[in-house]
This record gives sequence, C-alpha cells and structure tokens, in this order.
Amino acid sequence: MSADLDNTVSYLEVKKGLGSWLYTLDHKRIGMMYLCGILFSLMLGGAFALLVRTELFSPGMTIVGQDWYNKFFTLHGAVMVFLVIIPGIPAALGNMVLPIQLGAPDVAFPKLNLASFYLWCSGAFLLLLATGLGGVDTGWTFYTPYSIETQTAVIPAVAGAFLLGFSSIFTGLNFLVTIHKFRPAHMGWFQMPLNLWALYATALMQVLATPVLGITLLLLFVERFMHIGIFDPTLGGDPVLFQHFFWFYSHPAVYIMIVPGMGVISEMITTFARKPIFGYRFIAYSSVALALFSFLVWGHHMFVSGQSRLANMVFSALTFSVGIPSAIKVFNWAATLYKGDIRLDTPMLYVLSFLILFTIGGLTGIFLAVLSIDVHLHDTYFVVAHFHYVMMGSTLVAFVGALHYWWPKLSGRMYPETIGRVCAWGVFIGFNLTFLPQFVMGSRGMPRRYWDYDPEYTLYHRISTVGAFILGVSLFVVVCYLAWSLKRGKKATKNPWGASTLEWEAPTPPTVFNFPEPPPEVEIYNYDDLVEVPNANEDGVTNWERRPAADKPATSSHH
Amino acid sequence: MASDTSSAHDKHDEHGHGIAHVAAVKVLLGTWIALMFLTIITVAATKIDLGTNWNLALAMVIAVVKATLVVLFFMHLAYDKLFHTVLVVAGLFAAALFVGFALMDSGQYQQTIIWDTDKPPPAPIGPRPVP
Amino acid sequence: MSDHDHDHGHGDDGHGHHGGHGHGSPWIQHHYDDAQHQFDSGKLGIWFFLVQEVLFFSGLFVAYILYRYHHPEIYAYAHSYLDVKWGAINTAVLIISSLTAAWAVRCAQLAQRRGLIFCLAVTIACACGFLGIKYVEYSHKIHERILFGKKFDPCIASAGNHLLNKENYCPGVKTSVVWDAKTNKADRGCLDAPTGYDWDPALKGIQGKCVVNELTMSGTGANRKEVSRRPVEACAPSPDHGSGHGGGHGKQTYPCWTLEQNPHVCPKGPGAMVHYGDHTSRGSTVEIEVTCEAVPAPVEPKDALAPVDGKLERGEASFKKPVTPSKHDLKHEFQSGPPPEHTNMFFSIYFAMTGLHGLHVLFGIFVYIWLLVRAIKGHFTPDYFGPVDYAALYWHLVDLIWIFLFPLLYLIH
Repeated sequence: MSADLDNTVSYLEVKKGLGSWLYTLDHKRIGMMYLCGILFSLMLGGAFALLVRTELFSPGMTIVGQDWYNKFFTLHGAVMVFLVIIPGIPAALGNMVLPIQLGAPDVAFPKLNLASFYLWCSGAFLLLLATGLGGVDTGWTFYTPYSIETQTAVIPAVAGAFLLGFSSIFTGLNFLVTIHKFRPAHMGWFQMPLNLWALYATALMQVLATPVLGITLLLLFVERFMHIGIFDPTLGGDPVLFQHFFWFYSHPAVYIMIVPGMGVISEMITTFARKPIFGYRFIAYSSVALALFSFLVWGHHMFVSGQSRLANMVFSALTFSVGIPSAIKVFNWAATLYKGDIRLDTPMLYVLSFLILFTIGGLTGIFLAVLSIDVHLHDTYFVVAHFHYVMMGSTLVAFVGALHYWWPKLSGRMYPETIGRVCAWGVFIGFNLTFLPQFVMGSRGMPRRYWDYDPEYTLYHRISTVGAFILGVSLFVVVCYLAWSLKRGKKATKNPWGASTLEWEAPTPPTVFNFPEPPPEVEIYNYDDLVEVPNANEDGVTNWERRPAADKPATSSHH
Repeated sequence: MASDTSSAHDKHDEHGHGIAHVAAVKVLLGTWIALMFLTIITVAATKIDLGTNWNLALAMVIAVVKATLVVLFFMHLAYDKLFHTVLVVAGLFAAALFVGFALMDSGQYQQTIIWDTDKPPPAPIGPRPVP
Repeated sequence: MSDHDHDHGHGDDGHGHHGGHGHGSPWIQHHYDDAQHQFDSGKLGIWFFLVQEVLFFSGLFVAYILYRYHHPEIYAYAHSYLDVKWGAINTAVLIISSLTAAWAVRCAQLAQRRGLIFCLAVTIACACGFLGIKYVEYSHKIHERILFGKKFDPCIASAGNHLLNKENYCPGVKTSVVWDAKTNKADRGCLDAPTGYDWDPALKGIQGKCVVNELTMSGTGANRKEVSRRPVEACAPSPDHGSGHGGGHGKQTYPCWTLEQNPHVCPKGPGAMVHYGDHTSRGSTVEIEVTCEAVPAPVEPKDALAPVDGKLERGEASFKKPVTPSKHDLKHEFQSGPPPEHTNMFFSIYFAMTGLHGLHVLFGIFVYIWLLVRAIKGHFTPDYFGPVDYAALYWHLVDLIWIFLFPLLYLIH
C-alpha cells in the first residue's frame, strides 16, 4: 500500500477489493482481518465446547465415544488458547487501537504486522488440518510421553501452534517498538493510556516467553518425527522436563491473555464511570509487575507431576505473590466506580461482569496455589472452572466488551444497544450457570477430561450444559449483530461514549493514516472538558465534544 | 544528508553526524584478533588437566570474554543506548531463571528416575525384592 | 521460518501527518519522521528479536546443563566422538564472518559500495563454509551410526577401538553382534571388517531373535552327541529347578530360565530364556543351545537412518559362558569401555543444538544473499543501511551461540 493513499477518506473506503485487504499495510485493516479470523475461531472453539458439554449431559455415552471426546476437548482447548484468547485482544483490538492512541500513523513495522497475520492464518490452517486429519487427543498441553506415542495428528497441530507462537512474538515486538518510538513528544510514559501499559507488558511477555514454547514444540515435533529422545524416558529422556519447558511459556501465556483484558477494562471503566482512573500509577506498575512475576510461577501447574517438594514449596509461595498486582487492580477499578457517574451501556455491562468473574477466578487461583488443596483439586473440574473464569469470564468478556466499546470508532457504526445488553446478560448468566457448578463438582471429586462420570454429578453437568448453550447462543448473536451493524447499524459519531483518550479525536472511522491533521494533545482521563451532545447525527446518536481549552481551566484530575 | 566519510569520525563516539556510530577499523580488527587468539587459547586449555569442572569453568570464562567482545564491539552495544544493554541483561536473566529452576527441580527428582533398566534403583522406586 | 522482514517502502511525500521531509533515501518509510527514527526503531526491533532468539535457544541449554549435571559420564565418554579440529575451524570461520558482517555495516555507513559488496560476499562464503564442515561432520556421524535416540549404534568406542568383546557385548547397540564361539570370532554384526574377520559388511547391525533349545545329550567326551532336542518356548515354571541364580535367596521363584549372559544380543523379556549353568544342576545330559535368528525385513544397507533389521544368511551362533575380561583384554580390546547407559542422550542434545544453530546459519545465508543483491543494486546509503546493521546483529548472535556451543560440546575434558 503506497503512501499516496488519500488521507482524508475513511480507511474502510480508501481502497476496495480483496487485494487491497490481503496486501494491506494498514494496521486497522490488519486488525479487522484478525478480528474476523478470531471471531470465526471463537465460534469453532465454541462448537467444540458445545460438543463436549453435550456429551457430558449424561453419564456414559451421549453422542460420541471416548476417543472423539478426547479430540473434542483437545481441539476446543487448542483452538481457544492459540487462535482466540492469546491473539485476541492484542492482535485484533491492539492492532487497531494502539497506534491511534499514540497519535501515530501506523505501527513501527507494518510489513511485519502483515506477516504476523499470515503466520496466524498458517497456524490456523494447520490446526484445522489437524482437525481434519482426525484430530488430536493429547489435551492442549501435549504432555509427553503420550503425545509422542499417540497416533493422532499431533505433528500438524504442533506445527500450527509453533507458527502461531511466532505470530505472537512478532506482534509483541512490533508493539514494543511502537510504544517506545512513536509516542508524541508530550506523551511521556505516565501520560499514556493504561491500555498501552497493558499492551506493553503483554508484549514483553510475548517476546520473552513465547520462544520457549517455540523450542518446546520444535523438540516435540522432532521427537515424534525422528525420535530424538529428549522427552522419551525409554531413551533416557525426561518427561517432566517437557512440562517445565511447556509451562515456562504457558504460565506467562495466561498473563498474555489477561493483561490486555485488564488494559481495556481500565479504559472502559473510567469512561463509563466518567471519573479518572483511581491509582493510575499503581495500575501501570502492576501491569509490568504481572509481566515480570508471571515468569516465576510456572511450577504451580506441575505440583503433582513428579516435581520435587522443594520446587513445589517455592512455586506455591511465589504464586501467592503473583495475585497481589491483580488484586491491586481490582481495588483500583472498584475505587474508580465509587461515586462515579455510571452509565450502563453494553460495554459497561461487560466491565461489571469482568469485575465479578475475575474476582472469582483470581481467588480460586489462590485456592489452587495452596499445595495441600491442590493435591485434591488438581485435574478436577475446580481447575477447569478456575481457568474458565479467568480466561473466558475475564479475558473473553473484556474482549467482547472492548469490541463493543471501539466498534463505533473502527467500523463507523453503532451496534444495536438493546440486543447488546440482552446478550451481555446472556453471557453473564450463561457463563455462571456453566461454570459455577463446576467448582462444586470439582471439589467433590469430578476429574477433568473424563468422558464418563458417576451419576452423583449428573445434575451439575446438566446445569453446566444448559448454561453453555445459553452462553454459546449469546455469543453467536453478538457476532451476528456486529456483522449486521456493518451495513445496517446507526452511523456512529466521533465520540459516542465521551471517552477521553486520543483515539476518540480521530475521525470515525479513522483515515488510512489515522489523523487527517496532526493529532491534538489531550489530557487523558479528564472528563471535565467533555460535553454531551445528544442527537448529534442523522441517526440520533450522541456525541461528546471537547470544549475548547480556553473556555474552561483544565483541572488536572489524574496523577 | 550526512554521508561523512572522514576517518576522523571513526575514533569518536559520534552522534552529530550520520545516523549511528561508525565502528573504527582498529576496533574491528582488534576485536577479531582477540577473538581468534582466545579461540586458540580455549583449544589449548583442554590439554591442561585441571579436573573436569575447572576445565569447564575455564572454558566458560573464556567463552564469556569472547561473547562480551562480540557484544560490545561487533554489536556496538558499547556505543548504543543503555536500554539495549538492559534488554540483553533481561533476556539473559529470564534464561537463567529457566535454567536455575529446572536444575533445582530436576536435582530433587533424580533418584526417582530409572536410568539403567539393568540397574534399577532400590525399592520403592525400583522393583521390590521378592520375599 | 523466523525470518524478520525488512521493510522497504517507496515514495513518500510526507503525506498528511507530522512527517519529516528531505528524506534522501527512497527506502525511508512514510510513517517515520526521518531516517534516524526509522533506523532507531529498527534497531530496537532487532534487539528485541535477538533477546527472543536467546530464549529460543535457552531451552536447549537447559537440557544440556541438566544432563551434564546429572550424568557427566555420558558427556565425558561421548564427546570424544566429536572432532575438535572441525569444531575449531568452524569457530574460526564464524569469527571471520562476524568480522566481515560488522565491517559491512561500516562500509554501508561510509558509502563504500565495493567494500560492502566484498564484505557481504565473504560473510556468505564463510557461512557456506561452516555449513560445509557441518555436512562433513554429520555425514561421518551418520556413517558411523553415532546418532540420537535409538539410532545411537556405534561399533567403535570413543577411543576408536572396536566395542566388540568376547562376550558378544556391543553395548550402546541394541542390535546383535554374533560371536561364533566355535571359531572364537565375531561372525557378523556391527563391526567394520577388522582384520581377521571374514564377513559381509552389508549385514550391519542385525537384530536377533532368541531360539532356545534344550538338547538331550548322551555319551561323553568325543562320543557326546545329541539325542533329541526340544525348544524351550514358554516362560513356564520348572518345579525341579531349585537353586536359582542371581538374587534368589532361599526359595526359588524364578519361573523361567533366564538369559543371563549376552543380554544385549537377544532381546530380553518373556519367551525363551536360558539360564546358564543350569545344565550342571540338571545333569550332564542336558545342554542349552541358544541361536540367534534374524528378524526379517531386509533393508537397503546403505540407508543409514533405516531401522537396523537385516537378514542373517549364514551360519549359526552359539554362546559360551562369559569370561571376565582380563586387564589385558580390557586395555587392548576397548580402551574406553562400552558407552555408559543412555549415551545417546548426549547426541540427542548435540544434534538438537547444532542442528538448530545450523538452521539459523542457513537462514542467515538467505538474508545475506538478499542483502548482497540489494547492495549491488545500490540501495544502501549512509542514510539507509538498517538492513545491513540488523542482519549483522543477527549474524553476531549466531556467532555468539556457537562461541558457547563449541566449548560445551567439543571441548569437554
């Protein structure tokens, strides 16, 4: 895409045709393409989840046998983790929003950005190929020695995950350099929106942790292909070493998932409470602290794997400490809400869901960090519920909320508000119905990844399955109405929510280089200058305008 | 546009002209000679017997010196922004963390491993003696 | 492929934003303020990439350190299969290429086009030389079957002596070597034809299957001959074999006759097993004969990585009771002794590390060829030499990794 594109026209209109999308260098178009892929993968992973839950509706065989069940939960996990949640917020929303929040025309390396997208596509293709070749039944964690011996399509799955890892690394690299090098002169580190702090911390983890996944998967690939012997005990290899390698990445990976979610929540909560964020620096520092601490706790996935007692104790203690930055954030968000002017638009409903679900998810993580409790709860549904609360109830909810939040800016259209709120409730209710019973089941001994179970768990499983369908339908409707709104939604105004960060000063939708004139200097999280103008356009959508600075002394209310 | 070819610039840590510091020929050649020399030393040192561990330590010290020369001079880290050095140290620290924890843990569970099936460890890990 | 893309934009007119002007080089992209901005950003980007590469290799270093710490004996034994000479030459070659890579950056900065092209070309040549030497080393190892995992099948000890001994013990090798006790020679197996042995070198590494026969003999001395034979097939309890062997304290609980000697020659496990010395307790009318039969599936003998089954075509083997090798035997027959258990792990790690490193060298060659083409076309100016610099940084990292691999793998004392 050459630089002689018209910078006065919306980026969606500036050039048409499939080629202009496939060869684009515009971060917004790339983000849009990621979004399409990610939402498709969400539906696919969700379909696998519904198959799993349907099978578990009754004990014994309901729709499929054990082998297919193993493949369904593996594919559900692999698709969701590698294709949806890890790329989710950074690749789709981050790509679209980060440069605009900086007032920059693009990310630092646009071609690398496009390459990252194609790596994602290749990884997705390989995972789909693995599905088509009969699936994988090792669990998304690919533990050895089973993953070496099983006859299922492990090799394409592992190759796909490897490419997805590099997509993640290059995205992170791009974001790091963009944040370092493309901030305007007036925007120091502590004048950046918190979303950017979160994306920075995420990118740090992506660059430092993902290569270890790369080498792990490469070694697994070589192990299956050529029997190199590193993880195979019959040849002298060490299967626990595989787990160390795998979790050294995969624990930071879960923070790669949640930290961007926290970043977008910080943005949305302050907008919809019309109050500056409480404790800006604390939230900024705790994002980075999470990134650093996340490297210290991977052994808590391995408490019962044969890891030594010494390591168990060390990792348990460190895991307690990793909850602290998250807790700091939750308190700060709650304090932001306090005495705020709260508006319950759809994004805010997702934010409130996030606060509740993340608290539950995070606290149950602390339960699991206690060694003596983990011995009972490891590999039960308690763990399943815990990670779904944090990965889905928190990250995915934040993602969907943020999608609604930035949808007007990026698509130029409003989504239908009423259905939006209904679906937000549907997600919240469906989610809790699905996963709250799982905590109870797990503590009563229901193991995870089991195809069959004792009849005493039947009621819990049934509630869970019903909840899963409510959740699935709600999310499906969300995707549908978002697609619908692209053509039929109300036209959006420049700043329908009255948000204070720089991207809302760009046109809606932004031009190809984001700002037709040099972007203004705004003080983020200061709502005093913003005035609501209802019915601001022909579709009756509200706009918020900035009063000129001369009319009102700016009171700096964020530190 | 700065396209300075004056060799006077080579000797100084310049930021005024050109985009980046230009490595001096002396520095490049000097580093190279030092590296070749250290390689010869490394190989020669294996002929001296200090015991396996001390030989290893010596080889690692020489390797670290070589690595430092490459990083500082060939890779310009000595003349670059400090942040790049911070990055390198951070990366090495993460790697060291990985190594350290893995080593600590594996040390603890070694006796549970049946390394040689002809010489299994005693019960309860290896086979129980038949009463 | 972890190939980092180096952007070239074209044509800018400082469109629409706070862009810089007066960009000399057409390769400065539009979203950068100026050449300095682009260079600095790219530099930061490549350093992040290098940190990522360090972590990519760190996994293998973890494996190396773990195994070295817990099983130093396999390192001490195995490293002498490696040739220090080639390793040292490779080190020197990479250091030279590092010099030329760094010098190429200098040439680009000073607009010395011919110097730049020369340095890039030498870097590529050195890299190819490195890979050539690696090819020589690897092909030697494939030939000698000094490979990873199950394929670690060397017939020579690390000191260069043959591993075969009179006990049919070719350790590290889970294939058979067959010793003809009648002629007191190795009949077939994994040796290269040493002098005095007459055999078919195409039959390397043959798997054997034990067939055990219990022979009823009559007569003594020169008249001793076989009366009948029955195969011992199943692992059945033999009530009249009271005093067992090897660990049976008091009550005999060995249900089967165990193949105590030459355990590596015939596969262990249930099936026909023979307990040497048993004939003395059974009476002199019984002898045990063990023969090794080939497991079928003939294979192209030149295929080094194929499974090591092959056909036995002539002769039979029989085993004799082992003799503890004398010091004299030990010294001359196998100076370093057999490889310790799981020496193959060293080679798993060796091939993983050098293989991954070699792959990175290969990627580097592609990158440098691309740079060379661009340099010949005159794309690089003192304002725009980022790709040369970034590729040089990548190349130096490749050199750095080798600087550590060389002593760790080749120079183990």
